[in-house]
Amino acid sequence: MLNSTVTKKTRNSRTAFGLLVIVAGMGSFAYASEPLYRLFCQVTGYGGTTQIADKTIPATGVVERVVSVRFDANVNHKLPWRFEPVQKEIRVKIGEQTLAFYEATNVSDKPLVGTATFNVTPYKAATHFSKIDCFCFTEQVLRPGQTVQMPVSFFIDPEIVKDKDADDLATITLSYTFFQDQDQSAAEELAAQTTFHFRETGQKAERLPAQTTDLNG
Amino acid sequence: MMDTVQAAQDTHDHHDHKPTGWRRWAYSTNHKDIGTMYLCAAVFAAIIGGAASMAIRAELAAPGLQFISDTQFYNVMVTAHGFIMVFFVVMPALIGGFGNWFIPLQVGAPDMAFPRMNNISFWLLAAALVLLLASAFVGGGAGTGWTVYPPLSNSDFHGGPAVDLAILSLHLAGASSILGAINFITTIINMRAPGMTFHKMPLFIWAALITAFLLLLAIPVLAGALTMLLTDRNFGTAFFEPAGGGDPIFWQHLFWFFGHPEVYIMVIPAFGVVSQVVSHFSKKPIFGYLGMAYAMASIGVVGFVVWAHHMFTVGFNVETRAYFVLATMVIAVPTGVKIFSWLATMWGGSIEFKTPMLYAMGFIFLFVVGGVTGITLANAGVDIAFHDTYFVVAHFHYVLSIATIFAIYCGMFYWLPKMSGRMYSEAAGKWQFWITFIGVNVLFFPQHFLGMAGMPRRIPDYPDAYAGWNMVSSVGAAISLVGALLFLWILWRTIVAGEKAPANPWGEEGANTLEWKVDSPAPFHTHDQIPELPDAGVHQPAE
Repeated sequence: MLNSTVTKKTRNSRTAFGLLVIVAGMGSFAYASEPLYRLFCQVTGYGGTTQIADKTIPATGVVERVVSVRFDANVNHKLPWRFEPVQKEIRVKIGEQTLAFYEATNVSDKPLVGTATFNVTPYKAATHFSKIDCFCFTEQVLRPGQTVQMPVSFFIDPEIVKDKDADDLATITLSYTFFQDQDQSAAEELAAQTTFHFRETGQKAERLPAQTTDLNG
Repeated sequence: MMDTVQAAQDTHDHHDHKPTGWRRWAYSTNHKDIGTMYLCAAVFAAIIGGAASMAIRAELAAPGLQFISDTQFYNVMVTAHGFIMVFFVVMPALIGGFGNWFIPLQVGAPDMAFPRMNNISFWLLAAALVLLLASAFVGGGAGTGWTVYPPLSNSDFHGGPAVDLAILSLHLAGASSILGAINFITTIINMRAPGMTFHKMPLFIWAALITAFLLLLAIPVLAGALTMLLTDRNFGTAFFEPAGGGDPIFWQHLFWFFGHPEVYIMVIPAFGVVSQVVSHFSKKPIFGYLGMAYAMASIGVVGFVVWAHHMFTVGFNVETRAYFVLATMVIAVPTGVKIFSWLATMWGGSIEFKTPMLYAMGFIFLFVVGGVTGITLANAGVDIAFHDTYFVVAHFHYVLSIATIFAIYCGMFYWLPKMSGRMYSEAAGKWQFWITFIGVNVLFFPQHFLGMAGMPRRIPDYPDAYAGWNMVSSVGAAISLVGALLFLWILWRTIVAGEKAPANPWGEEGANTLEWKVDSPAPFHTHDQIPELPDAGVHQPAE
C-alpha cells in the first residue's frame, strides 16, 4: 500500500511537471510572437507594411499602367516638428523608379531625433509597393529651426498586374508618422557640437546621407 | 507498517478530525473547505462587481450625467465590473468553487492531487482581489476596460500606478488559475476511481478537464502580454508603442488570443454543471454522452483559432476576415450538438421542475439567445457596424454573464444540500428563479435594440433618442438586484435554518455521480476507501 502511494506521488509530480512545461511554452510563445508578428507583417504586407527592395530596378521593366500615389504626413503630438509632403500626388508607371520628397522642420529650440513609421493603403497594395531607399529606414536628426527635404525612392512591382485582387487599384496612399525617438543621443551630440556655432535656420534641400547598410532598421 | 497504517485508518474515524478556528481555513488543504472559500470569495466579489454594475445602470437610466460627474470614475466602474465578474466571480465560483468541491467527490479521490498547492491557489486569488480593489483608489483608478487596450492603458493616458496594480492583480489571478488548473488535470488524470475510464467520467469532470487545459494554454499568453505592457509603461520598452517600432494592434492579437479561450473557460464549466442537472432532473442518462464530451473538447480547440473576430475593425484584408468569420461560425456546430443533446435528454424524461432544473433550462435558453447574436456578430461586415455598440454588450452578457451566472445559481441550488447538509426552501428558490429570469431579460434584451440603433458602449451619456430602452434596461437591473438579494437571503436561511438534507435529495433515478453516495453535508474526509462506481456504464453511449 505504501508502495502504491509513493508511485502515485511520482506519477502526480510527473504530470504536474509536464503541465508546467506547457505553461512555460505558452509564456515563451507570447514573447516569441513579437518578432514573429513583425516578420509576418513584412512577408504578407499585413497592415500595409511595404516591401524593401535592393537598389536594382525590377527586371520585368516598366508596364504601361499608371497608378496615382498620394502622400500623407503625420507627426505625433510629442514631437515639435512640421512635416509635409512636397508633392501631394504623383502619377507613376508601374515598374518605374520614382523619387518623392517630404519636408520636415524642427520648430522647437533644441535638436531632436525622430523616426517615421509608415504604411500604405489599401493594404492589398503593400506587397507590391517597394521602397529602394527611404528616410524612414534611419533615424533623422534636425537642429532647431532646421528644414530638410527627405527623399523616398520607390517603385510599384510589375508583379501587381498578376494580382487579381489589385485589378481595381488606381490610387495608393503612402503614409508616414514621425515620432520622437526614445534614443535622443544623436541630438545630444549635435547640441554639443553646435554650441560654438551660430544657429542655422532654413537650410533647404539638404540631402540626407542614404544609409544602405541599415535598410532593415 | 502496512498493518499499522491500515489499523490507524480503521480504528480512527477521522471524519471529524480537522483543525479548528481560523487555522482550518487559512491553512486549509481540504478540497471542500477550499471550494467553500472560493464560493465565499465569489459571493463577496459579486457584491462589489454587482454594485459597480448598478452604478453603471443607475447612471444610464436617463440621458445626461446624473450620479457620476467624473467620467473617469465611470470608466473605472466599467473596468472594475468587467475584471471582477470575469476573474473574481465566474471563474472562482464555477472553477475554484464547484471544481474543488466536486472533482474529487465525482472521480472518487480523497482530495486534490496537490492539496497545499490548492491552498496557495486560493490565497493568490485573494491577494489578486485586494490588488485590484486597491487600484481603484490610486491615481484615478484603472479606466481601461477589461481589454486594457493601449494606447489608453499606456503611461500617456493612465500615468498613475492604478493600471500597474491592475496588471499585477491579473498576474496573481493568472498564477492562481494556472496552479489550480495543474491540480485539476493531475487529479482527473491520475486519481480517478478504478473503472472510471475517460469515457465514463461525468460530464462535469470532462468540462473541468477541458477548462483546465484551456487555462494552461491561454493564461500564460495573457501573462506575457501583461508583462510587455508593464515594461512598456515603466521600463521604456516599445512592444505596443509605434514611436519605438511597436504596434498597439499587437496587443489586441495577444489579448484576444487569451480572451477568446477565456470566454470558453467561463462557459465550459457551466456546460458541465448544466449537463449534470439536466440529466438528473430528467431522470435519464445524458443523451449523446460522447458527443457532449467531444463537443466541449472541439469548442476548446477551435476557440484558439478565432480570436481576431474581436478585432474586425482593425483593417484585415478580405481573406483574413473570411477565415475568421468561417472559423467562428464553425463553433456553432459543436455548440448545437450540446443544445440538442440537452433537449434530447429532456425529451421523454420525467422532468422534475425543481429550482436547479429551472436554472438549467434558463441557461439553455439564454445561451441560445446569446449564441444566435454571436453568429450575427461573427459576420465581419455586420460586426463593423455593430462593433463597440450595445448589441455587443447584449450579446456577451447573454452568453457569458447571465448564462454563466444562471449556471452558478443552478449549481448552488443543486449542490447546496450536499455542501451545507440543509435544504433550501423550494418555493423561495422558484420565486428567486422567476424574478432573476425576468430581470435579466428585461435588463439585457433591450440592449440589442440600443445597439442596433447605434448606441456606443463605455460612455456614460447618450442622446435622448436612446432614453426609452435604457430606462427599461435599468428597471431590469433593479429586478435582477432583487433576485440577487433574495438569493443571498435564501443562502443564509438555508445555512442557519434549512431542513436536514438526505444524502441524495433529488432521487436515485438519474443520479449517476459519486457525490450523491456520500452523506449530506459531505464529511470532511470522503472516499478514504476506493468507492464503487454507481451504475457502471450509465455514461456509455445509448445503445
